Formats: sequence, structure tokens, C-alpha cells
Amino acid sequence: MITWSEEQRQIRSMFRKFVESEIAPRREEFEFGDTPPYDVLRKMITTFGIGEMAKAQFFARLERERSGNDSTREGSGKGGDTMAAMRLLPIIELSRYSPGMITALGVSMGLTANAIIRHGTIAQQEKYVPELLTLEKIGAWAITEPDSGSDAFGSMKATAKPDGEGGYILNGNKTFITNGPYADTIVFICKLDEGNPPEQRKVLSFVVDGETPGLTRSKPLRKMGLHASPTGELFLEDVRVGKDRLLGETEDIPARSSAKQTFTAERTAVAAMAFGIIERCLELCTAYAKDRVQFGRPIGEFQLVQLKLAKMEVARMNVQNLVFRQIEMTEMGVTMDIAEASACKLYSAQAAMEVALEAVQLFGGNGYMAEFQVEQLCRDAKVLQIYGGTDEIQVSQIARTLLAR
Amino acid sequence: MKILVALKRVADPDNANKVKIPADGSTIDTAGLEFKPNPFDEYALETALRLTEDGTKPKVRDGEVIVVTFGPADTESTLRAALATGADRAIRVDANDDQLDGLLVAKGLKTLVAEEKPDIVLMGKQAVDGDTNQVGQALAELLDWPMATFAATIEEQEDGLVVGREVDGGVLELSIKYPAVVTVDLRIVSPSSVYSTKTDRSFKYNEGVRFSPLPAIMQARRKPLDTKSLADLVDDTGLKINYLRFEAPPARLAGVKVADAAELVDKLKNEAKVL
Ligand SMILES: Cc1cc2nc3c(=O)[nH]c(=O)nc-3n(C[C@H](O)[C@H](O)[C@H](O)COP(=O)(O)OP(=O)(O)OC[C@H]3O[C@@H](n4cnc5c(N)ncnc54)[C@H](O)[C@@H]3O)c2cc1C
Repeated sequence: MITWSEEQRQIRSMFRKFVESEIAPRREEFEFGDTPPYDVLRKMITTFGIGEMAKAQFFARLERERSGNDSTREGSGKGGDTMAAMRLLPIIELSRYSPGMITALGVSMGLTANAIIRHGTIAQQEKYVPELLTLEKIGAWAITEPDSGSDAFGSMKATAKPDGEGGYILNGNKTFITNGPYADTIVFICKLDEGNPPEQRKVLSFVVDGETPGLTRSKPLRKMGLHASPTGELFLEDVRVGKDRLLGETEDIPARSSAKQTFTAERTAVAAMAFGIIERCLELCTAYAKDRVQFGRPIGEFQLVQLKLAKMEVARMNVQNLVFRQIEMTEMGVTMDIAEASACKLYSAQAAMEVALEAVQLFGGNGYMAEFQVEQLCRDAKVLQIYGGTDEIQVSQIARTLLAR
Repeated sequence: MKILVALKRVADPDNANKVKIPADGSTIDTAGLEFKPNPFDEYALETALRLTEDGTKPKVRDGEVIVVTFGPADTESTLRAALATGADRAIRVDANDDQLDGLLVAKGLKTLVAEEKPDIVLMGKQAVDGDTNQVGQALAELLDWPMATFAATIEEQEDGLVVGREVDGGVLELSIKYPAVVTVDLRIVSPSSVYSTKTDRSFKYNEGVRFSPLPAIMQARRKPLDTKSLADLVDDTGLKINYLRFEAPPARLAGVKVADAAELVDKLKNEAKVL
């Protein structure tokens, strides 16, 4: 794939129209108020028939799984997935105005739903997934803890103890959880405590309802950016759940590798987000460089400003090519290995951050003012280097793979 | 009910400042401009869709909506977009903009109407590039059909339409019989401005034109799109309107501050000559 097809362009312009008419005019409210993003996201999902499409795909896959010839549990299975671009285009378009919105949406419809699809029983999938795909229910995926971030499994303290009646008692604190303050369906990742030392414990995932006795949650945390995405803490104190809440209904599920697959999925979305941010910054900067006059000429005539624009364009082209590669690989049914996914994430996140910082610089004092959007995109871009595995973790992932060759 | 909607693609009006005119004024340079469907024609398509459905079931089309454009091959994306919004099929009459004028388009449409026999021909009141506002009127004249221009409201009746036209000082209601030509104005896409007999009066549409759901965009690929040549439709393809010269509107001059009311009155009287 070397460029967008006519149909992809059409989809892009549809989403752009929606974002520009429904979200852009309310940017202040979402970014600087505390209005949760879910109503407008739900409207988007319904307007474009995304939820219905995702549900149809889900049920078709479930049918194959029932009849016993399910090959992969993600995407449309064997032989590639023609919907790859359809999934990335809304990410790109939303990121141009609100990387927070797409985070809230992606965690709910994407990460949470896929975690359940990957290891849930058919009954669990049927119970939880459809409403996540239509955003009737909001999902959260909780692994990070106050003392366990990059070292997600090693220092994990959250536990599940068998209650002796076939069920479990869950305890633990989770933090930085996207949608945490509002989620209806939470995938809670913890270790099975059978009295053995923590490093030998199995990792399990449970589905916990938002309103469950013993579960309390914080208000949305104040943060640097990504304001349109509510992020919060979860506190579980002796939360009792039946075995039907244990994903897969067995303790022998490879939950570690499942979580790792979730990381990979998270990483591939970052290139599309970075692309949206970069493209928007470049657009705003080009217009500003032509418009803003200093020393009697448009600032775009100064070579130092030109250098900024040129570098932004290079970043845009590179990240766009990464997005094209992802689309093409998915269409061919080839999965990106974790080292490549890490490389894509590392590069795109850094490119987005650099471009957004330079955009603020190009706008001068206006760049520092909230009115001129680059300020927001700059704060938002930073998160791409942190969540889904920090830049440093991506580096070590890539290096480890190289050195093992 | 069968509706023919004429759609034109125009240079994006939001980028009007990018329009360039060479020094000799011989033409308008459209290189590098982005194109969009003419907004009034998009409203006409939305009107056609509302007239052929029950508003609560927009996926089911009761009747047929055909979109037609006159333009080069790359205008097919405009037609595909219209098919994705809900039109059933499309016709492209191959021609470049400089081979067309309003009368020629009206004559081409007349032949298409003879072939398709629609109950209504709908289009925007004007295209926002040339702003000539004549195709609808010319077509009605050529067909000798009733016409309602600048429609702000439309209600479907058994054998025709009641059209509310915005005129100075109010709304003029016209009752017209099929077949008819209707051109639409801005307010036609308000939540309760168009009702088919299938749609309950309590139903409110979303403001503006509808979005195409993703599955519809994919299905649009398989909807029929025919191409015809202008010469197939019109014998005499000569232009009756000749453009002599183009010039950009004069740049706006910087404002001045006046010292007092007397100076303002003086300027209004002697410079602006409006008093
Ligand atoms: C807005 C936002 C939303 C989030 N949403 C979710 C969510 O929905 N669910 C969820 O579970 N989590 C979520 N997170 C958490 C996120 O995944 C973690 O913040 C991230 O993995 C980093 O962990 P940490 O914050 O504990 O940093 P730490 O792991 O404490 O890292 C601190 C610093 O040390 C560096 N470092 C750590 N280990 C190494 C090493 N081995 N080599 C070199 N450097 C190292 C890091 O790169 C970093 O610079 C979210 C975070 C944010 C900011």
C-alpha cells in the first residue's frame, strides 16, 4: 500500500466531518471541563454503524469457534482482514482533535473486549463483549498498580484467593486505569495466591462489574494531558466473585502472554494516533507560517521556520508509511512481532512528541496558549511515550530481540 | 417514487482564497484545489432520501434515487459518496467544466429525464462556484414541467408536493403536481422540513445531511454507475455562454479611524457615497 484508496479517503472525510462538527466545537468542554467522552463516542459508533459491524464480525467468529474451526480469536481470522484501514481511520481522525477520546474508545472497544475474546469462554464472550463493542457498556483493562508499572508482572501485588467454594476473593489496588472512574466491565489482572511465593504465582484475569461490593474507585485523576480520557484508581477489598468471572474459567490460561498480546495491540494503535497528531500539527503550522507576519514578511519565509515544517513533513511521511505497513500486514493476515510493534511505537511516539513541541515553538506565544490547539496536542502527545510500555521498555524489547538473533 | 438528483462537484468554498486567476484573466486556475460536492446539491440528495423513506428506517429505500453529475472521471468519487449516503445508482456524463454551461447541462438533463422518467428532479438552488442559479429553471422550461425553486420545506402528497419557498417577508406555499422540478435552499435540511407520506410527523431528522455508515460506503462500490457522453444527450454541444474575462474581487482595504461623527458623515457622504 503506497497511498490511501478512494474508499479510504471517503471514510476519512466522513469521520473528519463528524469530528469537526460534533467534537471540535466542544473541545473546550472535553479538554478543560470534566464532560466524559462516552455520549459523543457512542453517537459516532452508532452513526457510522461501527458497533453493529464489530458485533456482526464478533458473532460470525463466535459461530466458527462453536463449530470448532476457529483459527485466531482476533480480527476476522485466517486469510487476512480487509477491515484494518477501517479500524485505523477513526483513530487517526479522532487523534487530530482528541487523542484522549480515542484512548477512551480504544481501551473499551479494543483492549477490554479483545482481552475477553482472547481467553473468555463462549458464554463469557457472549455475556460481556457485544455491549462493549457498541459502547453500551464501558470497559477498562487494569494491570498497572502503584508499585508495578513497567515491571507489570514482577511486582504485581493484586491477588485472587480461592474462597473454598469454587469462587475467589480479589484484593489489590490498580492505578492509571483508563475509563476506571466510569467503567461497567473491568478486566482485573492479578496473581493466584495459593500460599506460594509471588514470583511462582499464576497470573489470572477476572471480569468485575463496575458496581461490585468491595470495589471503590477514585474520581478522574488530574493529569498533564489526555483530558478527554478519564483515568483513575481502583481499590478492590475482598471482592467475592464466582468462577464464571475467571476468564476462561480455568486457572491454566496463559494470562501473561495474553497481556503481552494486549500490549502489542496497544502499540500498533500508537502509530495511527501519532499520525493524526502530526498531520494536524503540520496543517496548523503551515497555515500559521503563511499567515503570521514578523519583520515585514510571513514567518514561513524564515529558513529556521522552514526547517521545522520540513522536518514535520518528513515525520508525517514516515509515520504514514508505518500506518500503511500495518494496514497491509493485517490485510495479508501477517501479525507484527512484538519487536517490530515496539519499533513502530517507539518511533511514532517520539516523532509525534517532537513535531508537537516544534509546533508550539512555531506558534510562539500563541503556541503556549490553550486557544491554539497545538498546546493541547503537545501535552497529549507525551502520553504516547509512556502508556502501552514506555519508550525505554520499547528500546529494551527491540534490543533483546536483536541480541537474541 | 423515482427521483433524479443533479449533483455538481465544486472547488471547496472554504479554500476560496486559493483560487488563482492568471494576469490575462482568461480562466480560473483550479490546480491544487480540493473539491467537494456543491452543498446545495448535497441538501437536494438529503431531501430525495427523506422523500423515499420512513425516517425511522433510513436503510430501507421506498422508491429510487438516481444521482447524476456532469464532469470528468475523477468526479466519480463524488457519485460514490452519494451512493454511500443512500442513492441507488449513479450516472456520470463525461465532460470537463469548460465544456459546460447552465443551458447545456439543462439540455443534457432533459434527455436523461426522458430516459429515466423520474417523478421529481431535485437539485440545489445554485452551485457555489459559478453561482449562476439557472439549471433548475432552464430544465423546467425545457420540459414544460411545474417548478418550485428555493424550497425550504417539502411535504409529500398523493399526487404532488407542497413546497414552502422562502421569499421576502415570509414563506410562500406552492402545491405542485408530478412530474416537477424542485431546487432547494439551505433550510431544507432542518429537522422537520421534509416529510414523505411514510414518515410520521412527530419524527425529527438530525440537522443537516446524513453521514454514511461504513457498511454503506463498502456497498457503494457495488452499486451501478453508468457513464454517458455529452454528445449522446445533446445534439448541439456548443456553449451559449462565453466567459470573457475573470478577475478576483478587489482586496479589502485597511480600515481608518475617524476623529469624530462629523468626519464619519463626511466620509459616508463623499467617499462611500451611501448617504
Ligand atoms: C494516561 C494513562 C493511561 C493509562 N491507562 C492504563 C490502563 O488503562 N490500564 C493499565 O493497566 N495501565 C494504564 N496506564 C499505565 C501505563 O501503562 C504505565 O504508566 C506505564 O506502563 C509505565 O509504568 P509506570 O508508570 O509505573 O512507570 P515506571 O515503570 O515506574 O517507570 C518509571 C521510569 O523508569 C523507566 N524504566 C522502568 N523500567 C525500566 C527498565 N527496565 N529499563 C529502563 N528504564 C526503565 C521507565 O521507562 C520510566 O521512564 C496508563 C497510563 C497513563 C499515563
